Amino acid sequence: MSDLAIDGKVPRDAMAQRRRRVARRDRWATVVSILVVAVVIIGWCVGSGLRLVSPLFLPSPWRVVHQAVVIARNGYAGATLWEHAAASLLRVMVGFAIATSLAIPIGLAMGINRFVKAIVHPVLEFYWPLPPLAYLPLVIIWLGIDETSKIVLLTAAMFGPICMAAQAGVRSVPIERVHAAQSLGATARQVFLHIVLPSALPEIFTGLRIAMGVGWGTLVAAELVAATRGIGFMILSASNFLATDIVFIGIAVIAVCAIGSSMAVRAMERVLVPWKGRS
Amino acid sequence: MLSVRHATVHYETDDGGTVHALEDVSLDIDDGEFVVGLGASGCGKSTLLNAIAGFVPLTAGAIAVDGVPVIGPGADRGVVFQQDTLLPWASALDNVAFGLKLQGVGRAERRRRAQELLRLVGLESFARAAPWQLSGGMRQRVGLARALATDPKILLMDEPLGALDSLTRETMQELILRLWARTRKRVLFITHSIEEAIFLGTSIVVLSPRPGRIVARFQSDHVRRFLQGEPAASVKSAPAFIALREQIRALIHHGGAYV
Repeated sequence: MSDLAIDGKVPRDAMAQRRRRVARRDRWATVVSILVVAVVIIGWCVGSGLRLVSPLFLPSPWRVVHQAVVIARNGYAGATLWEHAAASLLRVMVGFAIATSLAIPIGLAMGINRFVKAIVHPVLEFYWPLPPLAYLPLVIIWLGIDETSKIVLLTAAMFGPICMAAQAGVRSVPIERVHAAQSLGATARQVFLHIVLPSALPEIFTGLRIAMGVGWGTLVAAELVAATRGIGFMILSASNFLATDIVFIGIAVIAVCAIGSSMAVRAMERVLVPWKGRS
Repeated sequence: MLSVRHATVHYETDDGGTVHALEDVSLDIDDGEFVVGLGASGCGKSTLLNAIAGFVPLTAGAIAVDGVPVIGPGADRGVVFQQDTLLPWASALDNVAFGLKLQGVGRAERRRRAQELLRLVGLESFARAAPWQLSGGMRQRVGLARALATDPKILLMDEPLGALDSLTRETMQELILRLWARTRKRVLFITHSIEEAIFLGTSIVVLSPRPGRIVARFQSDHVRRFLQGEPAASVKSAPAFIALREQIRALIHHGGAYV
């Protein structure tokens, strides 16, 4: 109890003061962020409204919103906006699910066993930094032009960051934590299940968030060849007709999806790893 | 009885040299004994504890608990670490119950026993708290309760109070002694504080570095006087206490152990 009495009173006031100061700074930062967004939108309105830039290059915000409503109802390039979005979302999510279920076990195994690492490491190091667009032709030559090659491209792009993160997660486990479990009688399997796996979770979630970003970043490349649906396909076909407004809509949809899925991973992280940053 | 016979630990450094971390150390810890390993940094006292715990393999010699040779870590030797090694995702109660969970003790039973141990260390009202909500001293008390939960034959404490402020440290010393008097566990306690060693130990072994070996052993009855009700301040200011403190201090300084 003496601990409480000692670090109780005085610091608590200082803490509250510090919290208020941080809260004030955060509010200020939010105001600045909102201002920046407002300036960009106003600049856009003024730029297109005064015809400073040709509508071909910069359509007005109203035109983009109007066009979004039209293609949501009537469709563009053979499908409605929702169908395009759903097709892309499905591809990214399937790729994410496959990448996660492969990369986490392989990354963990690499972190634990040096032989597994010796086998996987050179392959991973070689292909991971490559832009997916560079190996897209190979994937198409090998797997054809249908859905499989698109999913494989997305999976390959997302595999790297998750695998690296899982491996780094294992290596970040404090050895004292392992020793503590062993001196309580833990077997190798129990050490893995009760110590290594949960200790690696924060790193794994960082990898999942990065992979989500990489996935949406690779989407347009994945839908480059022989797609009939998808936001990336929609952007590509709109660009052929210089339909800048549709390109804008496509970019906005990808941004919303990317931010949404990143927030979903973050929410899952808060539930599963509430101790992150506190130990 | 814990017996350490001619324990020697050498390890290679990155530049090809050999460090003699522990050299021909022999030690017995009998029932009810509280042995303190004392020495400056680098004298091998933590290596000795890690070898007994089974974390570090011996280069030569043997260690046995009740005649069973030590070949790796095990639940018969409970360890309290210097740093906080609690599981950040588990409550104080579940941290204490962790060893019982590993042994397959049922949920209700292990929670009941963990709650009882939390009460022993004075944290019964913090059962649901997460480790990061506890102070350093409270976390070490949870660590102590966790090590006791599996009912080990010996408790190994590796500078458990090293990171605590001096006031918390004194409270913790008294708590450890009350627990020891109650459980009658054999204890090996590592510290670099001479005063702490004399106050806690029934037996004190002084180690010196390079190579790490035992240079002196002392018996001490100051801990019994404290447990018989004499105030800690009075025990620590008794002439015999001060004389022993100065004797050990001279020994360590003379040996050139303090840099």
